Amino acid sequence: MPQTKQGPASTGSTALGSLWKAYSEQTPERLKFIDAFLFFLMLSGVIQFAYCVLVTTYPYNAFLSGFASTVGQFVLAASLRSQVNPQNKEEFKEVSPERAFADFALGSIVLHFFVYNFLG
Amino acid sequence: MIFSPVAVLLLAASAVQASVLTLQSPKFVVTDALGSQLRAEPFSLVHRTGTPVKLEAKDTLKITFQVVDKEDGKGVQPHQTFIRFFDPSTGEEGIQPIRVTGGGKAKFELNPSKPPLYLPPTSTEPLKVSLIIGTPNYDPITVRLFDLILPASQPAPTHPDEASFHVRPELHHTFRPDQKLPPKAVSLFFAGLTFAPWVVLIGLWSQVTPRLTHLFSPSILPFILSLVAFESLLLTYWVKLRLGEVLLYGAGLGLVTIFTGRQALSSISSLRKD
Repeated sequence: MPQTKQGPASTGSTALGSLWKAYSEQTPERLKFIDAFLFFLMLSGVIQFAYCVLVTTYPYNAFLSGFASTVGQFVLAASLRSQVNPQNKEEFKEVSPERAFADFALGSIVLHFFVYNFLG
Repeated sequence: MIFSPVAVLLLAASAVQASVLTLQSPKFVVTDALGSQLRAEPFSLVHRTGTPVKLEAKDTLKITFQVVDKEDGKGVQPHQTFIRFFDPSTGEEGIQPIRVTGGGKAKFELNPSKPPLYLPPTSTEPLKVSLIIGTPNYDPITVRLFDLILPASQPAPTHPDEASFHVRPELHHTFRPDQKLPPKAVSLFFAGLTFAPWVVLIGLWSQVTPRLTHLFSPSILPFILSLVAFESLLLTYWVKLRLGEVLLYGAGLGLVTIFTGRQALSSISSLRKD
């Protein structure tokens, strides 16, 4: 049950703690799998962008392709996750999870092709 | 043709009839701005005046003479009477026709403050002044009289477009300096940092690995293999293939993937529905 935000007390009594607890208990394994991938992609994108801001943009095309690969892959994986989630079944009546995965695979391959083209 | 017989006869005829002109009381006078005479001399046709005539800016040179026939002293008005100013260093000349009266009297005036247009621009040498007289039945006269030193003329005005007719100064373009890579240590550090998320990913995935029970069944494995083949094709493209080749291989591989994928996913969906 979500509680109002108090000072940091025992684990699970803060809002964030209870959110995390609900997430880890209620989310199916597969979705957690995809979530881990999403988190990894976000980290990777943030680090690349930080390098670009801090150090140099010198091979600009390389930065663009790397960053675009993380962003694009994130979008594809997020859409896969939302389409595969059993709780969203009412939203996606005409898209079966297999179809979603096929779309994900095709989109990923096309994205990788363009990223390799631009990478140089 | 000079040596044709008719020309020789004509020359002989003219030589018999030709008379000689001469000048009577020829003189030149240089007066300054106030009117006092600076130099007044006669000049002659047979003997050139030794010292050059020097004119300052406000002075006036006046030349007077009378053209007469040498034998009987009668005034003659020649058809052509010129004074020529010649600059030997530049080769420029200026010619002024002189008005001669019916009795042969001639007068010429030169004032540097109002220079006539035919005077060439001054150089380091004085102008050579000569008298040229020509008229039928008389021998022509071309005689150097004296040298003339004029005040220095101003340099010729430059045309506004003059500069464009000479070679322009060479252009030196400055380009932005080449971009440099950051130092190796920084690059290596950030490269390692960029690969750090993979560690995070592997750690997370080790905790939430879903069950891959059906991965190696014969209906699904070809699909997985064709996906792996696609990725390796793209990697090879990055390394050594060319666009046409990768598109060709990709088209073939895509065809294979369609069939394997259809088979794999339909088997999965049938399993799910069970």
